Amino acid sequence: MIVVGTAKNTGKTTTFNALRAVARRRGAAVAVTSIGRDGEPSDALDSEPKPRVRLAPGTLVALAAGLLPRSPALAILGVGEASALGTIVFARAVLPTACEIAGPPSARAMRATIERLRAMHDGPLFVDGAIDRVAALAGGDDAVIVATGAASGATAARVAAVAADTVARLSLPGRDAARERARVVRVEGALDVRDAEDLLANARGATVVVDDPTRIAVRGALFAKLREAVDLRCERPLRIVACTTSPVGRSATLAPRELVEAVARATGLPAFDVVADLAA
Amino acid sequence: MKTDALTAERIGLTWLRAAIAPVGAFGRRHDETIAPYGPGDELRAHAEIADVAELAARLERDGVTRLRAALRAVPEPSAIVARARAGDPLNDADFYELGRFVDALDVFARAWDGAGGEASRRPPVLEALRDLLAPGRSGGEFYLAAEFAPGLHEARAAVERAEERYEALRDSIAARVRDAIGIDAAGDELVVLRADYDGPLPDELFVVRETPTYRAARLRVTAPDRDDALARLSTEEEAARRALAERVSQQADAIVAATGALGALDRLLARVAFAQRWDGCVPVFAGAIAVDDGVFPPLADALAARGRRYTALSLRLNGVAVLTGPNMGGKSAALAAVGFWCACAALGVPPPARSATIPLLERIEWIGGEGPADRARLLSSYAVEVVRASGVLAGASPQTLVLVDEFARTTGPREGRALLIALVETLRACGTLALVATHFDAVAEAAGVVHLRVAGLRAEALDTVRASDLDAALEAIGAAMDYRIVAADGAATASDAVALARLLGLDARIVDRAAAISDSAQTRFRG
Repeated sequence: MIVVGTAKNTGKTTTFNALRAVARRRGAAVAVTSIGRDGEPSDALDSEPKPRVRLAPGTLVALAAGLLPRSPALAILGVGEASALGTIVFARAVLPTACEIAGPPSARAMRATIERLRAMHDGPLFVDGAIDRVAALAGGDDAVIVATGAASGATAARVAAVAADTVARLSLPGRDAARERARVVRVEGALDVRDAEDLLANARGATVVVDDPTRIAVRGALFAKLREAVDLRCERPLRIVACTTSPVGRSATLAPRELVEAVARATGLPAFDVVADLAA
Repeated sequence: MKTDALTAERIGLTWLRAAIAPVGAFGRRHDETIAPYGPGDELRAHAEIADVAELAARLERDGVTRLRAALRAVPEPSAIVARARAGDPLNDADFYELGRFVDALDVFARAWDGAGGEASRRPPVLEALRDLLAPGRSGGEFYLAAEFAPGLHEARAAVERAEERYEALRDSIAARVRDAIGIDAAGDELVVLRADYDGPLPDELFVVRETPTYRAARLRVTAPDRDDALARLSTEEEAARRALAERVSQQADAIVAATGALGALDRLLARVAFAQRWDGCVPVFAGAIAVDDGVFPPLADALAARGRRYTALSLRLNGVAVLTGPNMGGKSAALAAVGFWCACAALGVPPPARSATIPLLERIEWIGGEGPADRARLLSSYAVEVVRASGVLAGASPQTLVLVDEFARTTGPREGRALLIALVETLRACGTLALVATHFDAVAEAAGVVHLRVAGLRAEALDTVRASDLDAALEAIGAAMDYRIVAADGAATASDAVALARLLGLDARIVDRAAAISDSAQTRFRG
């Protein structure tokens, strides 16, 4: 299960921790890793306080060697790919431990890390993710949760619109031979604004195929227009299952219930505020 | 032995280096410390090549493959050892890696025995390091076990007790908060919506953010005994790591020696695998070249990939010789093969031949064609050749092998031939070894050097060739070509260009017209 955010400080790590807490309450040992760096006391870019990742005994973790907590010690199970913060280390918490997690640097290394964690572990696997790198996990049966919140908009309506746009892009359907149109256009790499304008001018009604949903680099009205004009699909779809909301932003605080309901309405997905214990 | 990029590419040295590259970091490092053999290194070169050939004959091929796979899996402990020696702290992943290193050495030693390696050359196993790490190792894992320091067990038990008390305290505080305001804390945090509860918050909560619609708060759980227990555990664990790192540093010499031995074996086994693949021989070192049934593996591999067969070459070269012969007769390949065999000897690799007498050289130089550096200089093909020839002649000595591939073919034939004759005379005067391939007539005779030729197309074989496409034509030409290199005995050599053009599918009208024009072709061409 991968948690991705619509912006920084949208409650990704809070959601990640809440999921782990649920698994723990159900008695399931979990495995965790991160795309990017998470669990540090404050954000490396904006110095905002960040929630720590606390590992319960038995939790498996893949993290860079440079972030391996020195105490309480972890049991070391293996080593993997190189990263800027050192080799990726696979470890198991023996005593409760708080730590930062930074996972592998590339999509390929992320996929390898996740496959190795799965080989070591039967239970749920949680990935604190990043939208631009979730492509590594496309085409699998992983569930993706989109974390959104006041950091991505000043009003509940704006946050909901951003979430809906993100969910619509990430939910791009896979190819379906039965529904494919007579003309199929394959877009290699990113589908950017120029590609979108070209497709609108020359490929209306066609099936347009990209590799995975993260290749869609157009947003907002242009994306909506493109979806109406062509049958937009991808080779390796993602499975978006829910949204979470964080009402707290640097410049705005929103009403939690109004926000969670607006996001659920706009995305058509179940939405949760895991701190305020709200669902819509 | 020095070469430039163009020469390395043309004589297959780049291919050879890749083919004999060690599989592990130690081997690569070891390889970098050994310069190619040059003049004066004959005894050392002979010893290494003989060793490679002997092992290639004795070890099973599958065994060598398994040994190399085992080497590939050996982790690199050098950085960890260097840090331990310097007194820097090690982390638990470092101890894990050292454990893997010990295991990998054991696996390699077993593979060595299994392949029939001599006991005297069996790579070391590090029993002292294995024993040192043993308390922390179980099922391939490493944990800083209580056995590493006397206080660790009690410090961990204290943390466990403190964590239990902390959890109990947290749960009781969360229960009191729930009773007071009817909200469950998720983890240590909770959000109180004013719409649900707008009264005073219990003392066990401290507010971290307050807005008109909600308050975010954290449970106030203070547990100084837990903090103390964690601090004590941290001290004990660091002490255990320091002690363990110090004992690792006492093993540093043995670890470094083991990596050195593995590096040497990696280099050796890479050469053994090559010799097993290509049936190399132990050469005799002398100033001239005499090779019997020699193979040029890069070409043999490329031909095999297309289902075609390579013909082994035998060749004698003493001083300077000119090599002539038909197009597609293998003149350039012969030049490359000579350079390749000399490069093999310089790198301690048995040259792939039934027997070989070859020199150890200071330089191998190729003249003909362009390299990447030449293209960047925006010179014409002719200018590139002339500039290269100037440079080569400036450094030519009896320890240089010069391979000249159709020098001056891009200029007028009269002046081109004259230049080539002068170049060959100069190479002869320098005392270099040189093989010069050309289509110009009577260069060897004019320059007073040996004239060799590719035996060439068997005319009777050509009669039967009716190629249907390019692949079939190439196959037919290969079958019709006699690639042997023989003494030319002063005879002019035909290039068979017209006959080959017909086989390669050039318009028959053009071929017929060319045949009519060419007096020399008329005597050989059979329509």
